[in-house]
Amino acid sequence: MSLSRREFLHLASLMAAGTSLAACTPINRTIGGPVDVVLPAVPERLSMTDFKILSRLTFGPRMVERQQTASIGLYAWIEEQLAPHSIDDTPLEWRLHGFDLLDFDAATLASMGDLLFDDLDPARVVLPFQQATLLRQVYSRRQLYESMVAFWSDHFNISVSKGDCWFLKVVDDREVIRPNALGNFRELLRASAKSPAMLVYLDNQANLASAPNENYAREVMELHTLGVSGGYTQTDVMELARCLTGWSVKDHFWRGEFTFNPDVHDWGEKRVLGLSLPKADRPFNDRIQAGLAETEDTLDLLARHPATARRVAEKLARRFIADEPSEQVVARAAQVFLESDGDIKSVLRSVLFDGLIEMRTALPKKYKPPITFITSALRMLDAETNAGPSVIEAARRMGLAPFEWPTPDGPPDRAADWQGNLLPRWQFALAYARDELEGTRLNGATRLEGYPDLSPEATIDRISPLLLGQTLPKRLTDEFGAALRRTSGIEPAELTAVVVAGLIGSPAFQWS
Amino acid sequence: MIPSKFQISNLVEQFPDWMPRLAFSPKTVSPAGDLLVVVFLRGAADVLNILVPHGEEAYYRLRPTLGIPRPDDIRASPAERTIDLDGFFGLHPALGDLLPAWQAGHLAPIHAVGSPDESRSHFRAMELMERGAKDERGPATGWIGRHLASLDNGNRSPLRAIGLGEQTQLSLRGPLPVSALRSIADFHLGGDLEMASRMAAALQAVYQNDPELGAIGQDTLEMLDTLSRLNPLSYQAGGNAFYPESEFGLGLKQVAMLSKAEVGLEVAAIDLGGWDTHFAQGGGQGQMARLLTDLGAGLAAFYNDLQDQHDNLSVVVMSEFGRRAYENASLGTDHGHGSAMFLLGGAVRGGVVHGDWPGLADGQLFGPGDLAVTIDYRDILTELLQKRMQNPDAANVFPDYVSHQHELFR
Repeated sequence: MSLSRREFLHLASLMAAGTSLAACTPINRTIGGPVDVVLPAVPERLSMTDFKILSRLTFGPRMVERQQTASIGLYAWIEEQLAPHSIDDTPLEWRLHGFDLLDFDAATLASMGDLLFDDLDPARVVLPFQQATLLRQVYSRRQLYESMVAFWSDHFNISVSKGDCWFLKVVDDREVIRPNALGNFRELLRASAKSPAMLVYLDNQANLASAPNENYAREVMELHTLGVSGGYTQTDVMELARCLTGWSVKDHFWRGEFTFNPDVHDWGEKRVLGLSLPKADRPFNDRIQAGLAETEDTLDLLARHPATARRVAEKLARRFIADEPSEQVVARAAQVFLESDGDIKSVLRSVLFDGLIEMRTALPKKYKPPITFITSALRMLDAETNAGPSVIEAARRMGLAPFEWPTPDGPPDRAADWQGNLLPRWQFALAYARDELEGTRLNGATRLEGYPDLSPEATIDRISPLLLGQTLPKRLTDEFGAALRRTSGIEPAELTAVVVAGLIGSPAFQWS
Repeated sequence: MIPSKFQISNLVEQFPDWMPRLAFSPKTVSPAGDLLVVVFLRGAADVLNILVPHGEEAYYRLRPTLGIPRPDDIRASPAERTIDLDGFFGLHPALGDLLPAWQAGHLAPIHAVGSPDESRSHFRAMELMERGAKDERGPATGWIGRHLASLDNGNRSPLRAIGLGEQTQLSLRGPLPVSALRSIADFHLGGDLEMASRMAAALQAVYQNDPELGAIGQDTLEMLDTLSRLNPLSYQAGGNAFYPESEFGLGLKQVAMLSKAEVGLEVAAIDLGGWDTHFAQGGGQGQMARLLTDLGAGLAAFYNDLQDQHDNLSVVVMSEFGRRAYENASLGTDHGHGSAMFLLGGAVRGGVVHGDWPGLADGQLFGPGDLAVTIDYRDILTELLQKRMQNPDAANVFPDYVSHQHELFR
C-alpha cells in the first residue's frame, strides 16, 4: 500500500505509451480481415430471472451461454461450470498464444522489465498480464471459474504497483490463485502466505526478530481470514508477526522465490489466539521445519475458525447474490465451510443454490464493477477485442484496471462504492459503439447497418434484448426514440451507434 | 457608446479566456460559507515525523534512526532538519513550502487528534472517520454528505461538491448525488459535437426518471454542460502558484479552477495515498519525504493560487490514525493511534500549534506504544462546519457525539 491509486497513473501512462511485443501478436491475429458474425436470435425460453443470475456468474452472458442455459437449465449449467476442466477452452488458448509470460518463472519475468542502464519498465510485464487476464474473462468458456479467480484475486489483493509485485503477481496468479480458486481455502491461504508477491506487498520480507513488522500478520487476520471484528487482539497481531519473522523472498540467486531465513526468525515462545507455540528447541536440521510450522499451524487455525467461515461466506454471497445478503444464506454457507473443512466448491454451491432460490422471489440488484461493465458490453455483443491498452485505460478511468487496486482490502463490492463515476462508462459506451476503441471491433451490432429502414424505436427494440435480456419498457423506448428523432439528419449507422451507446450507458445496463 | 464599449473590454479583462462564457447557471448561488477542501492522507500518515515534537526527549529515544533531526542538530545537513515552529514542535523539512502560510497565521496544526477506534485497521478506521460514526451502527452516509443535506442554502449546482479521482469518497455519500471528477479537460462524452449531443439526449431520456441512478445521471449531465464552458488548458494559476505535476497537484488545480469559475463549488474531497510506511519510510529524505513534498507543494500552490479568496477558504488535512511511536526493524513504523490534523485558510487561528500534547515518555504512550488521542477529530470538523460553513445544524452531522470547541478560528 505504499503507492496511491493516483501515483499508479504514472505507471499507467508508461504502459499506454509502449505496447509490448506480447501485446501486438494477438491483435493482428484476432482482428484480421472482414468479420462476418450474424447476431444470434435471442432465446425465448430464458427467463429474465435466469438471465440476471447468469449475468452474475459470468463476465456478461454470451448468447451461446443464454441458449445453453435455456436448454439444460441453470442448475445443470452451474454444475458444468463447477467442473471447469471438463469444458473445452481451445478458443481462449488460441487467443493466449503470444502471452508466453504467463508461464515464466519470477527471475525471467523480472528480466523482461529490465532495460539497459539499470532502468526498469514494469509495463512490459504488467500490460500483457492485464491483457491476458481480460482475455480470459472475455473469451474463456469457464466463466464461473474465471469469476472465482477474480473473487480470490480481490480477496487476496496484491497491487502490481508495490515493489517487485509487478512481476511477482504473475507467479501468484498462476501458482496461488488459479490452482486453488475452486479448491480448498486452507490450501489457498497457505499458498498465499508463501507467495513472494504477498510477502513483498505486505512487507513481510522486512519482518525481523529484532523488531517485527506487523503488516502482513495484521492483514492476514483482518482481511484474509477472521475479519476486523473476528476476535483477534493487537497482541495476537504482534505474536503472529513474531511467528512470521524470517518468511521472506530471495533477492539474488533464484530471485523472487520464497525463502525462510532462520537467522532472523524469533525462536521464542509465542501465543496466538490461544494457541501455545513452545520455544523451538529441536535439532538444527529440523529448525526450518519448526520455524515454518509455527505459522502454518496458526494459518490452519485461522482457516478453520468460525469467523473466517462467516467472512468468506458473506463475501461470496455479496459477490454473487446481493450487497447485503440474507443472514440465512450466509449462515448456511458458513456452516458448509466448517463442515467441509473449507471446500470452496461446496461453499459456492451453498451460496449459489440457496441464494438463487431466494433470488427467484426477490431479485436484488448488483451494480457492475468497472471490469464487468466492460466485459459484459464486449461479450453480449460478441465483440472482437485484444483487451489492449484502450480497454485497460477505460477500466482505470472507471475506477479499477486489473491488479491495480492499491490497498490490501481489495476493491469494494457494493453499489454505492462505484456509482459516483458514470462519465467514463458513457465515454466507453460511445467510443465502443462507434468502433473507436483501438483493438476492439463491434461486429455484432454493425450488422444492423443492413436494416436502414428501421425506426429509432425498432432499432432500440432490436438491440436492447441483446444487452438487457429484454426490451426496454415501452415508455423508455418511446422517450429514447423521441430524443433521437429530435436530432435531425441521423444516418442509419449513427443511429445504431447512439442506440448501442445509449443502452450500454443506460441505468439498466449498469446492473446485473 | 463609449461606456458600453468600456464595459465590454472590462468584462473581457475580468474573465480570462479559460472561462470564455461565464454563464451563471440559475441553479447556482454563491455559497455563504467557505470553499472547503478535505485532504485525506490514506494509509495512516506518520504524524510524529510530520509535526515533529523535537523538544521531546523520548522522541529521539524511540526513533534513533527515523527521527527527524532537531532544528539545531549540526550533525545533520540543514535540509534534513526539522523546521522549528514554536520551540517544541516543528515541520518535516519537506514541508517548507507551507512556511509562508504559517507565518501569515493561516496554518494551524493540531496534534494528538484522532478517533476513539482502536482497531488499528486502515479500512475500519477510514470508514468510521469518513462516515463520522463511532461503530458499524449509525448512518451509512458520510459526514460531508450529511452536512450538504442539512444545509439548504439554495445551491443546486451539480458541482456543489465533488470527489477528485475515480471514485467519490465515502465522506461525500449522502442524499445528494456527488460525482467524481478527475480532469475538467477530459470531462466530455468524446466523439464529435453532434454525436456527443445525440448521446447526451439519449442519456437524458433513459436517466430522467430512473429511481436509483436518475439523480447521479442528471448530475453528471449537468456537469458536462457546465464544464463544457470552461477551457482548462489555458488556465493560468494566480499568485505565481506552481502546482506539482502529480495527481494531487493537478487535482487541487482543478479545485482552484472551479472555485474561480464560480460554478457553485462548496466542498471538494481529495486523497493522497501511500502513507502506510511499514518499510523504509525514510527520514529527511526518502519515501515519506517525497509524499510530503507533494503534499506541501500542492497545498502551497493552491493557497497561493487562491490568494484573493483566503478569507473564504478552509482546507483540512487528516488521516485515519497515526503510527507507532517507536520505529520497527525495517526502518518503518507500524500502525498506531493518535494522529494530527492541519487547517489552512484565512480565518484559521494559525501560527500556533494547537492541541493537548500527551507526551511520548513511558506511561504516556497508549496501547502497544502509540501517541494518545486527546482531541476527537469530530471536534475540529464540527467547529469548522459551524463557524466556516455556516451550518447551524452542524452539531447533528456527527450523531451521538457532543463536540467541544477549541477556538480554532478567528
